[in-house]
Amino acid sequence: MKKHLGRALTVLLGIALGAAVFTSVRLSIHAALDSFTRSMDVIAGSADRVMVQPGGRVPEEWVAKLMQFSVVRDVSPVLTAYVRLADKKSEPFLLIGLDPIMDRSFRKWQFSERTEEDVESWIELLKRPYTLIIGKSLAEKYAVYRGDHLFIEHTRQTAFFSIAGILSPGGLAMAEGGMIALTDIATFQELTKLYGLVDRIDIKLDPNTTSEDLDHIRKNLPDNFQLGAPSAAKESGQGLIRAYQLNLSILSFASLFVGMFLVYSLVALNAASRRHELAVLRATGASPHFLFLVFLAEGALFGVMGWLTALPISTILVKYLLKGVSQTISILFAKVQVETLSLSPWEILLSFAITVFTSSVSAVQPAWEAMQVSPNEALEISRHGMTRKTSPRKLVIGGIGCLFLVVPLSLLPGILNMTLPGYFAILFLFVGFSLFAPWSLIQMGHALSPILHRFVGIPAYLAGRYVRDSGTRTAVSVGALITAVALFASLVIMIHSFRSTVELWAHQTVSGDLFVTTKMGEINRFRYPLPRTVVDGLEEFSNQVDIVPSRRYSLTYNNFPYEFQLLDIHVFLRHGDFVWLKGDPDRVRTLLKHGKGVVISEVFSNRTGVAMGDRFRARIESSLVELPVLGIIRDYRTRGGVVFYSLPQFNIRYHDVPWGGCRIFLKDRTKNPEMAVASLKNEFIRRWGDTLEIISGQALRNTILRVFDETFAITIVLLLIALAIAALGIATTLTVLVLERSKQLNTLYAVGADFGQIRSMILWEAAFMVVAGELAGIVCGFVLSYILVYVINRQSFGWTFLYEVDWGALAMSLPLIILTALAAAYPAIKMVFRESPATLLREN
Amino acid sequence: MAKNNNRPVIHARHLTRIYRLGDSEVIGINDIGLDIAPGELVVLKGNSGSGKSTLLSLIAGLDRPTHGFLNVADHNLTQATSPDLTYFRRKVVGMVFQSFNLMPTLNVLENACLPGLLAGKSADQVTSKAMGLLDWLGLSTRWNHLPAQLSGGEMQRTAIARALINDPDIILADEPTGNLDSRNGQIVVELFAELNRNWNRTVIIATHSDIADSVASMTICLKDGAITDQTCDI
Repeated sequence: MKKHLGRALTVLLGIALGAAVFTSVRLSIHAALDSFTRSMDVIAGSADRVMVQPGGRVPEEWVAKLMQFSVVRDVSPVLTAYVRLADKKSEPFLLIGLDPIMDRSFRKWQFSERTEEDVESWIELLKRPYTLIIGKSLAEKYAVYRGDHLFIEHTRQTAFFSIAGILSPGGLAMAEGGMIALTDIATFQELTKLYGLVDRIDIKLDPNTTSEDLDHIRKNLPDNFQLGAPSAAKESGQGLIRAYQLNLSILSFASLFVGMFLVYSLVALNAASRRHELAVLRATGASPHFLFLVFLAEGALFGVMGWLTALPISTILVKYLLKGVSQTISILFAKVQVETLSLSPWEILLSFAITVFTSSVSAVQPAWEAMQVSPNEALEISRHGMTRKTSPRKLVIGGIGCLFLVVPLSLLPGILNMTLPGYFAILFLFVGFSLFAPWSLIQMGHALSPILHRFVGIPAYLAGRYVRDSGTRTAVSVGALITAVALFASLVIMIHSFRSTVELWAHQTVSGDLFVTTKMGEINRFRYPLPRTVVDGLEEFSNQVDIVPSRRYSLTYNNFPYEFQLLDIHVFLRHGDFVWLKGDPDRVRTLLKHGKGVVISEVFSNRTGVAMGDRFRARIESSLVELPVLGIIRDYRTRGGVVFYSLPQFNIRYHDVPWGGCRIFLKDRTKNPEMAVASLKNEFIRRWGDTLEIISGQALRNTILRVFDETFAITIVLLLIALAIAALGIATTLTVLVLERSKQLNTLYAVGADFGQIRSMILWEAAFMVVAGELAGIVCGFVLSYILVYVINRQSFGWTFLYEVDWGALAMSLPLIILTALAAAYPAIKMVFRESPATLLREN
Repeated sequence: MAKNNNRPVIHARHLTRIYRLGDSEVIGINDIGLDIAPGELVVLKGNSGSGKSTLLSLIAGLDRPTHGFLNVADHNLTQATSPDLTYFRRKVVGMVFQSFNLMPTLNVLENACLPGLLAGKSADQVTSKAMGLLDWLGLSTRWNHLPAQLSGGEMQRTAIARALINDPDIILADEPTGNLDSRNGQIVVELFAELNRNWNRTVIIATHSDIADSVASMTICLKDGAITDQTCDI
């Protein structure tokens, strides 16, 4: 390493960048997952079972009824909702309503103040309505103390609360990063007007409870109630976050993968330049295995040093990523509040092991070549000529073998809800294309050298000939570029396809001029219906607008979260549409209007296995819904799948449901619709601004696309890092090639080449490598984009999208990549003749 | 620049080349005065480190003197610009090295053609010339072989073809037999002698052996970077 210090430092930087990206991504998502899990655990408490009503609430009387079962030890009714400080325009935080006495055996929480004051706070919480105990983070964020008042806004109303105490960190106080408040259940019910109802009842069972005992309880519950595991919500949330973690980990691993080529390049240079030294070692008794281990250790050392160098980079990167990742997870999957970064020893060990492993693997081939050095070579004065170690044809056969594996692997289902076969397909795709690199360089050299000789001149000809015959070294860098370009092209295509499809979905399915829901409706999962007065008031506008009422239920189907959405399909289809995937749209629309079945999203279908023609079964409040699946549609909401059914038909066939919200379409769009929407919105705000959230359709659709763009911001950053490492790879390889050939280049000078011709030759070599890498990378990228769209996304998130190539972006960016990679040739060009050509004679 | 046959083809005065190695200085050659007439076959003798290669690299236009004056074939190399030196290497000198220094990716014919192509001559003209040279050197059946497929003697003959492709006045050979067995070494020396005798080329061979002594018209002995009048003691 000392001999090639500059190159070694470049390689170290490449590995460090890759390791830093991988470590930071893993640590930040782990922190978010850890925060989510802890939050869910402390909120779930030590309950053994939880009683809920899907889509509805549980009457409080069941608290007493459950206690009558002999195996039930304790029960605790719980209500939760997101609220915010009305006067401080705060972010929503979680308000938990519980019975402080019944809940003591379920959840741990204590005050940050002295013990005697604890009792006082307890008493205040019980005896005085509208008192709160708040988390320390919340208190610190808004600089409030015991005895202060908070003006709390809920969907239903706004009220003053007094703070009875501050929770000390630990137990329940750690939920949502401490951004929580506790109140007595009676106060909660009064605030939310949910008199006599609770969200769920947590149950503690006798340790000896048998499945028969549980069945006995279930039999005695009404059909619309469920006795489930408290971890169900946690597990489904964890599943989604883990899928996201895996995807981002793989993407971040791409940087390390590209870094592998750098390590290979330098270890191979060391092995080649020390060949005589190795032969002497062999002649003096070193075994081939010893030489193998020496070079393997060199690769491993790069890994260890790269990982250590990555640590300071990671500390900077992780801060950025933690914020971005938490925001993305909160928007897409489940609300997480990461206050501090928890350093998981397992994650640190994993990043260390993967970095050292990948670096060591990169050194295997050069180490193997070093093993082959014969002791006889010690007697040779110098080696003449270039010999190819591995036949390009053999590599091509290996490459074809790898590419053949891509298809069957892509078709395999995920393992343990993870898209491992898909990722292996990608790995084989990269390896396959990289193995083609030497052959493609030879073909390119053969085809282009004579043409370039004729039309461009001798430097281009010599470059073509050299690249053609340079063997694995050049091909390895081309392989790195293929990987980076393929990632770039595929992600450009995937993101563009995804965005176009989301735009189409937003335009058709999220159509509407105004969307009306209750205040904080989304964060509270639309569980509170619109007040009757608002519904009546809205209907007064029916001469100007078409109103599409809706009701959304957050449910689970075999533990998979989904939304059952009731919609006035008839009116909706007059203005908007679904993005159809399966089923004859005309036929399905008619049947849907008449309530003859449901349409399900692609995500719901892929995740639950429910297909077109199957029967969909769900318990919605007091009704058991069983309907055929008429069609499958595209839908890109991120918290699971969706099932659509007609609201009017539901009211006729099952039970009356109040409106949870509605979307509004202008009847007459000919006269300045923007102005009409704005005036309508102002009128609604004037009438019901304190209870409703009103957003224009355009603003909502813009928000969806903004969230989309923000979500992919991290992806793009990771991608740019991979490209930067690939450029480092090109720079290192070219520099290495220049150093290796300094004698040849000096000879060229001696036999009449001028500096310009030699520099031009090196630039042409870079151009050959870059063009070969870019062309193969684009082809690989197209295949990869298919795998990403139709395998990885389908298996990770359950959705696919309409495949659409962003030719404009590719046409703009690919020349930029070529220029960047060519710029990477600059250090190599500068390196030429750093020493006088006269050394040629002195070396002799 | 017209040549004057009455004047020495190589004329050096106080020629000095000092290399810097960190803070210290190493003297390559020191205050050398030299005149070589056209058509000579000069053997430059000396031990390793005596300054043979330094002197050869200055005459070849690969390096510049630190002090002194050097004129080769009417080219003032002391004041030559970089393009002048390129022109000089293309037209005036042909070089042969101990390690042959052939381009490993080019075959025998392409290696032989290389200086001609670098000089901008037409491919047809250069190829035809190269084939003639290879024929003369006994390599006509090996023209499409890569250097790795040749013996040491064949590689050195290819290097000689390369050195001759631009019809240079002066052939410079640095230890041309150093990597060859004695039989091949003798063949190469004979070729240089033939070039000198029949083609009227000035040939300078730097060597530490006495293999070329029998064909030399002039012997210059170097010791510690200076020409010594004593008998070469190697």
